[in-house]
Amino acid sequence: MNDNELMTAVRQSFTGVHVTTPVEQVTRRGRAVRARRRLPALAGALAVAAGAAVAVTSIHPGTPQASHQPTAPLAAWTVAKQSDGTIQVTIRQLSNPAGLQRQLRADGVPASVTLIGQQNPTCRPYPASRTLLDSVMTHTFEILPTAHHGPPTGLPGSALNLVIVMEIHPVALPRGTGVQLATTFTLLPPVTTNGGTQHVARAHLAMGLVYASPQCTG
Amino acid sequence: MGTQRLDFAEFYRRSADDCLRAVLVSVGDQDKAKELVDEALARAFASWRAVSRHPAPAAWVVRTALNTNISWWRRRRREVSVPNPGVIADPAMAECTDSPVDPKIMAALMRLPARQRQVVALRLFLDLDTAGTAAALGVSASTVKAHLARGIASLRSDLVPEPEQEASS
Repeated sequence: MNDNELMTAVRQSFTGVHVTTPVEQVTRRGRAVRARRRLPALAGALAVAAGAAVAVTSIHPGTPQASHQPTAPLAAWTVAKQSDGTIQVTIRQLSNPAGLQRQLRADGVPASVTLIGQQNPTCRPYPASRTLLDSVMTHTFEILPTAHHGPPTGLPGSALNLVIVMEIHPVALPRGTGVQLATTFTLLPPVTTNGGTQHVARAHLAMGLVYASPQCTG
Repeated sequence: MGTQRLDFAEFYRRSADDCLRAVLVSVGDQDKAKELVDEALARAFASWRAVSRHPAPAAWVVRTALNTNISWWRRRRREVSVPNPGVIADPAMAECTDSPVDPKIMAALMRLPARQRQVVALRLFLDLDTAGTAAALGVSASTVKAHLARGIASLRSDLVPEPEQEASS
């Protein structure tokens, strides 16, 4: 008996071994696996209505915008509670996410605030529909008139004039949930054109709902 | 989605038995092999778009089943991933099993070290060449060759009567 004959004999001894599970049962289980895998991503995608914007932080020499210059350095972020209970959040940079998180919690919003990519692993996404998410939070990106016409001084930098403005409606939060916010501001490589150099920044915002817990939302 | 389901169904029809046989040889327990292959096939279906483009989807399934076995083993430390070869190697015990496989052949396979058994299983049932087997197991081609040669030699020593062994060499 040569090697091939030996292997054939071994292989043939297994001809009575068959799968007995119907393919439909396997595909049903496969769909469940896929759904479970998607849940965080879907929750992330819905939960994390991400946005991005680009701002010119300094523009061509010779086109100053002096008339719009603010007179004082702006805070990295501000939180203002409106009389109707709405919380308005303005974020210019997020060098102190814990501070913003503390402030939101103090204003009655269960919140987890981080930089993007550093989200609190104890937070469990709440599968919110887009409609629900929009009823809880809205956001816009705004480009403010800049006071700075030279190259940005780096991140986090006061030269950035790109601002995220959010409104949070705590009353629209489903019971037992909180908000999760994450942002980054990125300074892109400068773009040189005939008229000069443009310094550009990009902001990303991810936001969503999470199940409230002491570890996640305080 | 319809095409995806048909493709997977065709793959299942053609390859599921061989995947089960390869995993059975690797883990030595038919119920566990079925459970592992069912799970691996379900995962294959869940990622069918990617798995169907794999050079050897059946090898992906077997590898996933074996990895699942390891992770189950890690999760439940009380289990061992292979049965005690000595138990099945005992002909009296082997005859008591209700496996459709020839007990002597199963016992000979179970006496092989785990990696040799995996190499033999992939060659036997998935018809993978050396490179494919090496890729599926994450080892080098020379390791596959060495394991296969040793595995076949051990099987020959266990299953082929001595006079015939001498005649074939």
